Amino acid sequence: MNIKKQFTEGLITNNPVLVQLIGMCATMAITTTLFNGVGMGLSVLIILTCCNVVVSAIRKIIPNEIRLAIFVVIIAGFVTIVDLLLQAYIPALSDALGVFIPLIVVNCIIIGRAEAFCQKNTVGASFFDGIFQGLGYTLVLIVMCVFRELLGSGRFGGGLIDIVNGFRFTLDGTGSGIQIFPEDFGASILTLPFGGFITLGLLIAIMQYALKKSAKKKEAAAKAEKEAEEVC
Amino acid sequence: MNKILKLTLILFLVCAITAGVLGVVNEITYQRIEEQQRIKTERAYAAVLASDGYEEVPFDQEAFPTVDLINRCTNGAGYVVTTTFSGAQGSITMAVGVDNDYKCTGISIIKHSETSGLGANAASSSEKGVNWRAQFVGEDENVAITKMGGKIDALAGATITSRSVANATGVAIRAVESLG
Amino acid sequence: MLTNIISISLGAILINNFIFSQFLGCCPFLGCSSKVDTATGMGLAVVFVMGLASAICWVIDQFILVPLGLEFLQTLAFILVIASLVQFVEMFLKKSVPSLYSALGIYLPLITTNCAVLGVVLLNVQNDYNFIESVVYGITGGLGFMLAIVLFASVRERVAFSDYPECFEGFPICLVSAGLLALAFMGFSGMQIFA
Repeated sequence: MNIKKQFTEGLITNNPVLVQLIGMCATMAITTTLFNGVGMGLSVLIILTCCNVVVSAIRKIIPNEIRLAIFVVIIAGFVTIVDLLLQAYIPALSDALGVFIPLIVVNCIIIGRAEAFCQKNTVGASFFDGIFQGLGYTLVLIVMCVFRELLGSGRFGGGLIDIVNGFRFTLDGTGSGIQIFPEDFGASILTLPFGGFITLGLLIAIMQYALKKSAKKKEAAAKAEKEAEEVC
Repeated sequence: MNKILKLTLILFLVCAITAGVLGVVNEITYQRIEEQQRIKTERAYAAVLASDGYEEVPFDQEAFPTVDLINRCTNGAGYVVTTTFSGAQGSITMAVGVDNDYKCTGISIIKHSETSGLGANAASSSEKGVNWRAQFVGEDENVAITKMGGKIDALAGATITSRSVANATGVAIRAVESLG
Repeated sequence: MLTNIISISLGAILINNFIFSQFLGCCPFLGCSSKVDTATGMGLAVVFVMGLASAICWVIDQFILVPLGLEFLQTLAFILVIASLVQFVEMFLKKSVPSLYSALGIYLPLITTNCAVLGVVLLNVQNDYNFIESVVYGITGGLGFMLAIVLFASVRERVAFSDYPECFEGFPICLVSAGLLALAFMGFSGMQIFA
């Protein structure tokens, strides 16, 4: 398993949200501003990487019968650590994400990767798997946020970017973002639950379309090759 | 039976280690979290009624169950009331400034879990470019949203949140009035 | 007290439906909703576990974690309680109520990772609910989940026979239908309780 392959798998061909279709609750719930999306994505990335490393490190000494219980305890531990750190150092993010931070415990991405990947692979491979799967998750969150925020309220980078006092990144969630078009013209329905479902539906549809197309292309290429061989 | 005992022991060990690590992290972050909460409350107080200091005053808790505490401004500007009440989604914690004529000097939401994009706008700095909470400045104990015969325009799509905020502001002012 | 309970119930079932307005429990909602029968089974199992989990976690929180100042262990303790609760319920049903077990059995293990269950317990703590309110919120939250999943399953049974672009096959079309249902449920958000 090389790193490059893991990279494309995590980000595109085996993307946790768009292809494995897991961890969707938070994806739909919190993607209303870029601040939330980036914060949630990075939190999951950190927790996933830590859990992956720990699980793969102790994979040989944990008894098979209680492995799921142990995974859950380890995950809950890391989630609580991140939760406490966020409360202490980025309280605005902790407020914005609310109950969805502790709920990372039951996010299927983390227990899914522990069960499907880290049990069978080395610490190094699991580390990169955590990073790339986490990046894939963050990427989807960012795309959803940008789409919903832009069309919903005509803004980009709400909470994260401040242009009132010169261009800068705000880590306390106070930045008002860049107003692309007046808020009154935005379809504010997109920032509501309805928008979450529709946006994710569209994204997965686009992904399926792209994957199918590339599969067809490969098939056609293989067919052409075969025909060429036959001609010879 | 031996096997079960062994498994239980391992699971217990994992739990114990995790709990221990969490205890350490909690020890490290505990003070900072308290500090952050204090800063947040202080900021909310300063936003509704500035004063160099605040001191808690006793009040009739039975009559005003939603009021957490009433602080008298040491500079004599009035009172700041902290109140916790239920909004549309969960509980909302809010600071209400009340001057000596029992008029609202401003409200500031400290904690809430309202719907993002609707009720959450009550806490945001601007909703469509207007600070919604500014409407409360100068209102008296009869503050209410327009639907209930008052002067406060409810937030679009968040009538319940708006109404509970208005009601709680009224209760807070009445609580200060009861001090005499 | 009674009005409070009624407003919590109506809120949990209609206004702040766990699926359509809080996005809690979306995975089983999308995964177990292809048939009305399975959806009903899953819904019942969730109501059962959510009610029990709310009660037990409230007791543990109020009598163990809060007095000892261990609130930071809430997430860990709650998820362990839920996981072992699900195991116990499964064993208990298998032994004593086999008919119910055969109806709910296969859904029970899935509930451990249902974020609606952990969500309801955490929200109980966040909203400072007392014992009765917690249990009511747990059960009615579960009923809201059941209402959503059964409605959605009946929609999906019909969607299966309709025409839609090929790339919407599977999850995307489900998400779009769920979005439309969420839109319908938004109508409840203007509902006033005891105004």
